[in-house]
Amino acid sequence: MAVAAEGPGGLRLLALDPAAQALGLRPGEPLGRVRARIGVPLRVYPAEPAADRDALLRLCRWACRYAPVVAPFGPAEASDGLYIDVAGASHLCGGEARLVDDLAGRLARADIPARIALADTPGGAFALARHGGADRIVVPPGGAAGALRDLPVEALRLDPGAVAGLKRLGLRRIGELDALPRGPLARRFGAALLLRLDQALARRPEPLAPLTEAAEYAAARGFLDPIGRQSDIVRTARDLMAEMAPRLERDGLGACALRLALHRVDGVVRALDLGLSRPERDPERVAALVSLRLDRLGRALDAGFGFETVALAVTVTGAMPARQTDLGAGSAGDGVGFLADALAQRLGRALLRLEPRASHLPERAGRGVLWVAGGGPGSVPRRSTGRPSALPPPSPSGGLEYSCIEAGNTASGSVAGPLSRAGEGSGPSGCGTTGTRGDGALDPENSRPSPQPSPARERGHVAFLHQDRGSTELGEQRCAQGAGHAPAIPSPWPDHLPPRPLVLFPRGEAACDVLSTVPEGPPRRFRWRAQIHRVAHAEGPERIEAEWWREPGEPRDYYRVECEAGHRLWLYRDGPHATDRPAAWYVHGLFA
Amino acid sequence: MGLDPADESARTPARGEPRARLAALRAQLAPPEEGRASRPILPLGLSALDAHLPGGGLALGPPHEIAPAGPADGVAALGFALTLCALHLSQVSGEALIAAAPGEPLPYGHGLLGLGLDPGRLLLLEAGGDGEVFRALEAALHARALAALIGLLRDGLPLKPGRRLQLAAEGPSPPLLLLLRPAEAGMPNGAATRWRIAAAPASRDRFGTLDRPRWRARLERCRNGRGGDWLLEWDHAAHRLHLPEPLAGDAAASGRSRA
Repeated sequence: MAVAAEGPGGLRLLALDPAAQALGLRPGEPLGRVRARIGVPLRVYPAEPAADRDALLRLCRWACRYAPVVAPFGPAEASDGLYIDVAGASHLCGGEARLVDDLAGRLARADIPARIALADTPGGAFALARHGGADRIVVPPGGAAGALRDLPVEALRLDPGAVAGLKRLGLRRIGELDALPRGPLARRFGAALLLRLDQALARRPEPLAPLTEAAEYAAARGFLDPIGRQSDIVRTARDLMAEMAPRLERDGLGACALRLALHRVDGVVRALDLGLSRPERDPERVAALVSLRLDRLGRALDAGFGFETVALAVTVTGAMPARQTDLGAGSAGDGVGFLADALAQRLGRALLRLEPRASHLPERAGRGVLWVAGGGPGSVPRRSTGRPSALPPPSPSGGLEYSCIEAGNTASGSVAGPLSRAGEGSGPSGCGTTGTRGDGALDPENSRPSPQPSPARERGHVAFLHQDRGSTELGEQRCAQGAGHAPAIPSPWPDHLPPRPLVLFPRGEAACDVLSTVPEGPPRRFRWRAQIHRVAHAEGPERIEAEWWREPGEPRDYYRVECEAGHRLWLYRDGPHATDRPAAWYVHGLFA
Repeated sequence: MGLDPADESARTPARGEPRARLAALRAQLAPPEEGRASRPILPLGLSALDAHLPGGGLALGPPHEIAPAGPADGVAALGFALTLCALHLSQVSGEALIAAAPGEPLPYGHGLLGLGLDPGRLLLLEAGGDGEVFRALEAALHARALAALIGLLRDGLPLKPGRRLQLAAEGPSPPLLLLLRPAEAGMPNGAATRWRIAAAPASRDRFGTLDRPRWRARLERCRNGRGGDWLLEWDHAAHRLHLPEPLAGDAAASGRSRA
């Protein structure tokens, strides 16, 4: 069996299984020549780089069980491996050797061939995993130079031109390279060679680009006996939140978004992202939201043989100053906030509120924006979002990520898993707590993304200066409302507009067979939605210009008409009246 | 609770005149009217309407069904529902929630101003179907965080969700619950009232322009009350419903207003 991909001069072999390697085949050979050379039939599959990448990312997420900083190989390395920064985390498995054994055992059980090396630096671990000659290598601290001395220079992650140049000079081993004076090497091969050499030998730091950043607030709990019942998961989530709450409280923060990772016994990781409308650190509320979310998932949360680890991490934090609590129920805003969160978890739908926008066009002049607790009209919640992640976000398939290890999809070579001990910059999270961290991009349903500007929500008001009788009425009405509750914030809705319809269509619906008494005037009769409407009364026109700075268009003349049946409609003629073309009429809204 | 009963009994008769005392004593002795007397209501401000409704107004809590008279009257029914909502919001604090099934028309912010409803006090939820609308309303009823709830239904209110909503509304300080449904699909359910709304020509101001919206509202069904048929006019500035006077020349208002 082999995997082939388009290469220079046609299809070339990319990866081979052991049986094919036994035939003497090498990656990179042209497929046609191979077929002609060997006498046995060869099963060839096309390469799927995107699927390989996905599988690697899933493996990375799974590997977060060992340490929070896990990085897949970047463009400089091959595409089939990952780094785990086990600094400060190896003792949790009983030492480095046991960690490597455990990792190798689990990968073997999942039918993933792997070569694992643990060294002081990512570069050293990479070199040993690729060229070390053994499947499991653990280099003691400080032993990098000795372990790397006999490895070929290809192990240094150099570009092929530099490798060929070194070989031409007879430099085949890292040890030989290291013994040379640095100046001539840098002049001849550039600084990249020395950088790679220094990175491998721990003379210069090498930052990893982790798949998920370590959450500052995370807690996890493992179970000897796997749990599967919803009530157990909810109770665990509550306990984990209670564990984190004092730390959050000390820092004056609350959780704006949480990620609950459920590690199944068979290696599948289920991640549930929970978005909150305001910072929260109450364990009971978080537990209630988790419960609602699991309600919604129902059987889709396939517990299988149970979950062995439940991890809760705060992916987005927000400032949450201390507040004097009330003996009675909280304020009304709290209730609405909790309702909003409950609906988001249970139905996957967010509460919207209407917001005006500064636009002349009625359909562009407003929109529905996501409701945020304490966010008055126009205010922006204070949220400190996580740092941007280096990798694409998880698949936005309803917030339910499926991370698992498939057997048999790794024909494209063995997966090398170097482990580096000395992680620079990103230290491990606290002892006893390991956890995954969401990578900034949250579940689109639960977090607060910018809402899709669907035309149906593009509503609002028009800032068109018409001073007429509508203004006084609206002014009175504002006073009447102000008497009801405190008008702390002036309404962002302007009150100087002519009457606007109660329901506005996203775009005008064509009215046909329009009959007018005067060509410039309002229609007397028209057909709309397969019905003839006879106009009993018409007011207008109100001319609204197109937004020429966005896109050219005709000005519209709006009329408010009342039909004989009593229905009130908002009609417009697209463009001013002209003798040389028929007038196009549209119904744009309906009045109450 | 914390008071000494002797102290209570010593203080109560000493206050007020005998007639009020007698009324208070009668009220104490009267059998409980299944909590109906204490149920909060929303008076519509029109004695002609309130006399038809049990308790003198729309009961807060149980669902009220509002249906258009014909397919073209959907916006009129929405306007009437938002009018009731505005009437309620002008008396209490809090916000209103509109949970809409897909395809149902959501109100336009500026049109709400024309009905006297502050768009800032309105929350919208675009649900994925009638079932989600019911679940959202039920959650909102349990949360008791909102002053008014409006559900825009695509198919109507069946018996079971109606009963669930009714049960969820039990308890103190329930919100106003209105359900808009299409013209057909009048199935038996737990709604307290059923209104049928048709558009009517608006009133004119002294310049002859369209002024206040009017609806022909029929109270089709009313538990413990009487039905009726009115022509209603909404004054959005004063937050009041009116029965238009059958004036000479006002063809829209003359005639059929029987209260």
